[in-house]
Amino acid sequence: MTCAEAEQLLDSFVDAELPGSMLLEVARHAGSCPACDQAVREMTTLRESVERVVRRQVEGVDLSGVWPAVERRIGRSGTRGVWRHVPRQLPVWGAVAALAAGALLWLRTPQPETVRVTHARPNQAVIERLVSSEGARVGIMKDRKYGTTLIMVSAPGEDTGQ
Amino acid sequence: MKHQAARVVLIGLSAATVVLLAMAPVAHALSVQVTTVQASLEGPSDAQLLPFRPRLRRLVGYRAFRVIRVESRPCIWRTQEAFVIPGGRLLHVLPKGMREQAVVMQVQLLEGLRSLVDTDVRLQNRGVMLFGVDPERGPADGVLIIMLKAEE
Ligand SMILES: [Zn+2]
Repeated sequence: MTCAEAEQLLDSFVDAELPGSMLLEVARHAGSCPACDQAVREMTTLRESVERVVRRQVEGVDLSGVWPAVERRIGRSGTRGVWRHVPRQLPVWGAVAALAAGALLWLRTPQPETVRVTHARPNQAVIERLVSSEGARVGIMKDRKYGTTLIMVSAPGEDTGQ
Repeated sequence: MKHQAARVVLIGLSAATVVLLAMAPVAHALSVQVTTVQASLEGPSDAQLLPFRPRLRRLVGYRAFRVIRVESRPCIWRTQEAFVIPGGRLLHVLPKGMREQAVVMQVQLLEGLRSLVDTDVRLQNRGVMLFGVDPERGPADGVLIIMLKAEE
């Protein structure tokens, strides 16, 4: 099995959705390939974090402790994210996304704010300008592996406690 | 006989001109596709999203992805188009022009009259820009993901 073949199956592998023989093949490949092994570990951690965060939120547990963990993880992954206006109460799915691999830029804007972000890489989406509105929380996620860019928007109504 | 043939050619040419003129705006248009996807913790994923599932997973962590709305239409340069996003939001897309072999578009996500985010993005052919919108009723409902794609 090659890395490209394994890559297509990794998330089904993590979710145990593969038939036994395939599961074994992917496991064998990951066992001898540090890159795929790392990908499996990241996906498993991410899945567990999402499930944990959602479960806690459903149970009404205060999530204020999530942020330091997210920050530590991003620090470890060596991404060059720029941090500003870290929200006091991080929206849950924001925490979840922050746990994903990639660079994150959080903005909480009492006033509309413009950010210029340009990363010229082929076949990708590039953000040239971004203005978030008053009260909206905006985060930018870039996945380094696939080069996908995601702009997360959270707008909890007009009163944002600012 | 000669006269008649000339008339047929002339009519043919005029018809072709009319058709070409009618097609002119379309020829300058760009095809924009907005796909809204519901991401959830569990459940099945739509087959059409399977090729994209690994990158969605890496970005948002959820594992099930279902298409809830697809809107694809030709957009004309410097003309704004509004795409409906389930949950009472609108995505305004304004193709501004080409730069470095990529389409530059102004994209605005609106909630009522309020613009939540206003951005200029440069998208290469087949490139996809993603927007995540927070859930209305809490995290158990997952996240809405808007996939924006432009093709010349
Ligand atoms: Zn490998």
